[in-house]
Amino acid sequence: MDLSIMIPELLSALPLTLAITFTAMVAGFVLALIATTFRVRRIPVISQLADLYVSYARSVPVVLQLFVAFYGLPVLVGVFGVEDFVSPTIAAMLGLSLYHGGYLSEVMRPAYLAVERGQHDAADSLGYTFRQKLVRVLAPQAVHIALPGYGNSIIYLIHNVALVMYIGAADVMATAHLVMERDYNQYQFETYLVLAVLYSVLCLVAWLIVHFFELRSARFAPRATPARTALMASV
Amino acid sequence: MFDIEVLLPDLWDILGAVPLTLAMAFVIFVLSTIIGSLFAMVEYRRIPVLRQLVVAYKVAFKGVPMVVVIFLAYYGLPSTLQFLTSLVGVEYNGHSTPNWVTLIVALTACVAAFQAEVVKGALNSFDTGQADAAYSLGYKKSQLFRRVMLPQVIVAAIPDLANSFMVIMKALSLGFAIEVVDIFAQSQLTAALNFYYLEAFLVAVVIYMMIAYAVTQIADRTERALRVRT
Repeated sequence: MDLSIMIPELLSALPLTLAITFTAMVAGFVLALIATTFRVRRIPVISQLADLYVSYARSVPVVLQLFVAFYGLPVLVGVFGVEDFVSPTIAAMLGLSLYHGGYLSEVMRPAYLAVERGQHDAADSLGYTFRQKLVRVLAPQAVHIALPGYGNSIIYLIHNVALVMYIGAADVMATAHLVMERDYNQYQFETYLVLAVLYSVLCLVAWLIVHFFELRSARFAPRATPARTALMASV
Repeated sequence: MFDIEVLLPDLWDILGAVPLTLAMAFVIFVLSTIIGSLFAMVEYRRIPVLRQLVVAYKVAFKGVPMVVVIFLAYYGLPSTLQFLTSLVGVEYNGHSTPNWVTLIVALTACVAAFQAEVVKGALNSFDTGQADAAYSLGYKKSQLFRRVMLPQVIVAAIPDLANSFMVIMKALSLGFAIEVVDIFAQSQLTAALNFYYLEAFLVAVVIYMMIAYAVTQIADRTERALRVRT
């Protein structure tokens, strides 16, 4: 096992991994916004569909979601008339976007609901339109509450990108398997250790970025957090 | 394109894997909660050296994807077990370790890091005014823990514990890489026999969602029954 050969080879697969991660982050964020909107403001049929979507994304294993995306993508694209469309990378992006969107929606919803009712009322009484209220009053506070959970979901997303090797997308994990098989599976333990370090570094970078924004958003947190005691037997 | 007639036979095949999956999930849940509670108590009581070790453990096991930990355990655990048992003088062939034991050890190690956070959060939600009142009434530390803290901490932890049970159920689907057959693996095996992949996977999706619904309902009812409301 030659680290000086193996590491550049693993890093050559990093662009695809990062591409899948970023696509899933952006698409998942948009999906989560839409899903959270429909889960907070109840509309008869669409809210139940949004609930079902989030329940699917959170209770089904990510591997299974990726397989459903991989086998469902040709069926879905076939509806639009394109025949024989098989792409593991696109299926991975689709599957992970759906997963991330559902997970993120369940982070955004409590953050939005945790902003006091009084802020809504005060903004309405001052004549803010809904969009102004959302952008200037609610979003800064909700973002501050949601950021730790958002950091967690980014880290879980990076963990789950490792699973796209099961549907054939050539990311870091799949390249590591190729490297191991080339050496007749002698150095599996060491290679997995290198992988572990690589993923830890990715997660650490993501955590640092989110932590930077956490510290910055603390400006918008209400200074005196209202004491919210759980209903417990009191002395 | 999509065949409805295979859904029912697939359902019976895949349901056969549910008891084993639930049993493994339950074992991992109990073990990881015990270990996580130990870690949380170490952090709560701020024991000097163990605390840094616990933090290092959490950073290590939360940063590495579970699939990588499972592979590491698969290639590292048999030889480690053999070495450890040889220290004690027992003759044990590490390579005869069953795969499900390796899976349970790997997942317990990963999930214990998350359970430590859950229990730590539940411990922090405890109102210290009650501790002061108890001490003023002459309670010993152990009595305080057993009679005042424990009931409230358990109730506070129930939602997060239900969440981590679902995380364990999902992580068990990675066991297919080391030949442990759970619900997802069984759906793959079933689909491989008749090539109706999408139908088998949709059956597995429905089973997982129903288990999640059942777990959430049980957790909600348990919490409602145990929580004391003034």
